[in-house]
Amino acid sequence: MNGDESPGLHYFAVKTTSKQERTVADNIQKAVEQSDIKVYAVIAPKELKGYVLVETPEEFARMEQLVERVPHARAVVRGETSFDEIQHFLVPKPVVSGINEGTIVELIAGPFKGEKAVVKRVDTGKEEITVELYESLVPIPITVRGDNVRVIDTREPDD
Amino acid sequence: MVVRRREKILPKVCRECHRLVDGDSCVICNTANLSTDWTGYLVVLDPRRSQVAKKANIDLPGCYALKVR
Ligand SMILES: [Zn+2]
Repeated sequence: MNGDESPGLHYFAVKTTSKQERTVADNIQKAVEQSDIKVYAVIAPKELKGYVLVETPEEFARMEQLVERVPHARAVVRGETSFDEIQHFLVPKPVVSGINEGTIVELIAGPFKGEKAVVKRVDTGKEEITVELYESLVPIPITVRGDNVRVIDTREPDD
Repeated sequence: MVVRRREKILPKVCRECHRLVDGDSCVICNTANLSTDWTGYLVVLDPRRSQVAKKANIDLPGCYALKVR
């Protein structure tokens, strides 16, 4: 992909006070509504602690003007980011996709971390799966979050 | 056994369109399929001009969760 996808748009990171990312996103919206400075979207990804990302047709100086009026926003980070750099925040992969009944997985979190297990049931809505430990003599069903497992094999073994 | 993290209760969002919802249903999707288990936040002010909204498949202004469980 090239940068021509978002002509005239700029992407700035705005530093926020600790744990106020969502508040700052809301406050930017309020400040925009009370000014002639344009912002099209504000993103507060979970992975980006202490920052929000602003999509705007405005230049850096205008963003600074806006941010002065936004409670809990500290400063606009000098230097722009780009749509290509931020777009992965917008399409998080569904965590249980690719996991089906019979899929062999490894638990990567929790008390059974490192154990292999067979998937018995997938709850797509709740993004939880029920597994049985592979090498356990008594099969005990365990329900875990879809992101607590790693797929090892998509087929049930023959033996 | 259900593995769960303990977290502050968040506002409700619609599981279908990811919009933050007041009350017991999403008026856009006409569904009561809501969740308080979500992460990441997105405010869309101008969906027609926003590349971000386009990528996230959002065509109405508003507040959205990025990831919903
Ligand atoms: Zn909805």
